Amino acid sequence: MTDDKDVLRDVWFGRIPTCFTLYQDEITEREAEPYYLLLPRISYLTLVTDKVKKHFQKVMRQEEVSEIWFEYEGTPLKWHYPIGLLFDLHASNTALPWSITVHFKNFPEKDLLHCHSKDVIEAHFMACIKEADALKHKSQVINEMQKKDHKQLWMGLQNDKFEQFWAINRKLMEYPPEDNGFRYIPFRIYQATTERPFIQKLFRPIASGGQLHTLGDLLKDVCPSAVTPEEMWLSNLRIDLRWRAEDSSDDSWN
Amino acid sequence: MAEAEEQQQPQPAAPQSGGRSDGGEEAAEGGAAAGAAEPGPTAAGSPGTEEPAGDAKKKIDVLLKAVGDTPIMKTKKWAVERTRTIQGLVDFIKKFLKLMASEQLFIYVNQSFAPSPDQEVGTLYECFGSDGKLVLHYCKTQAWG
Repeated sequence: MTDDKDVLRDVWFGRIPTCFTLYQDEITEREAEPYYLLLPRISYLTLVTDKVKKHFQKVMRQEEVSEIWFEYEGTPLKWHYPIGLLFDLHASNTALPWSITVHFKNFPEKDLLHCHSKDVIEAHFMACIKEADALKHKSQVINEMQKKDHKQLWMGLQNDKFEQFWAINRKLMEYPPEDNGFRYIPFRIYQATTERPFIQKLFRPIASGGQLHTLGDLLKDVCPSAVTPEEMWLSNLRIDLRWRAEDSSDDSWN
Repeated sequence: MAEAEEQQQPQPAAPQSGGRSDGGEEAAEGGAAAGAAEPGPTAAGSPGTEEPAGDAKKKIDVLLKAVGDTPIMKTKKWAVERTRTIQGLVDFIKKFLKLMASEQLFIYVNQSFAPSPDQEVGTLYECFGSDGKLVLHYCKTQAWG
């Protein structure tokens, strides 16, 4: 795991330069300047945009403001997806900064979950962690932890504290020496080219013959239309590394 | 999170016709759940009997278990479309139990985590189903955090 620390840090500290602009139909008392922010790829929109909200609320009347929501080129952005995933899905082929439109009215009930407080984000984040551990360890590791350990994971994410987060998360990334890996790899495959939300299936890290499964094996198995046999291109495919399955060797990629 | 209006309401499940082993490393179901979205209403009719056998089932069996002093559903086993979301199931249970829309209802998988309201039951079944069904616990208060 120590060899991977550079990779873990790169993933944690990934940032997307973003320009927030108020939706033109919002009613303001004076001109609203755009707001620029570096967004952490691994976090959630509603967790990191307090300053954005404050900035735009300054030019609006109280009665014009209800729950904030974000949109990119007409598509409401799901706050419960990691920011990096949203960017990769919707805007990775466009020039930076990523231009997001901010709304305070007409919340799109059909497309977005509500996010009335940070508690909602914490509950969602912890549910993801628990679901991943259900696949990795039959929930044994997460259930053996104390409440304060769960809290530390959340605080680490909320306050952008890599060491604090990984002090606990490393336990979720370990397995007994007699096993060769997790029970199943927690993964989700999102594709920009389909209406389907994501692909998630059971997938073991070790093949029946004892060899390690590679990323290529996974893709061939669950998403064969996205890869060609010889070249293993990533085409219109974004894999959510958020789940950070342990690093099976990527030597199938040239 | 609204779903396609054509989707049928869950139906009581037919007696089980063949289990599904835990494991799934066979990956035999070859992306059935990941393919095209269901375009329209499935055939109406008696529950379960019009289903094609085996992997191509559009519906999965869900077993609903009450937690604590939450009212118990008279019918516990339901055949549910794979693309139905947790939110859709919550709305259905609330209606069935005659709960108020404003009352909260929490759903848990494996008595350990609460899936996101937009998560599809088909995916949960693929990953957490056993003996041919997905067991879900429901509760009016938070049970497993």
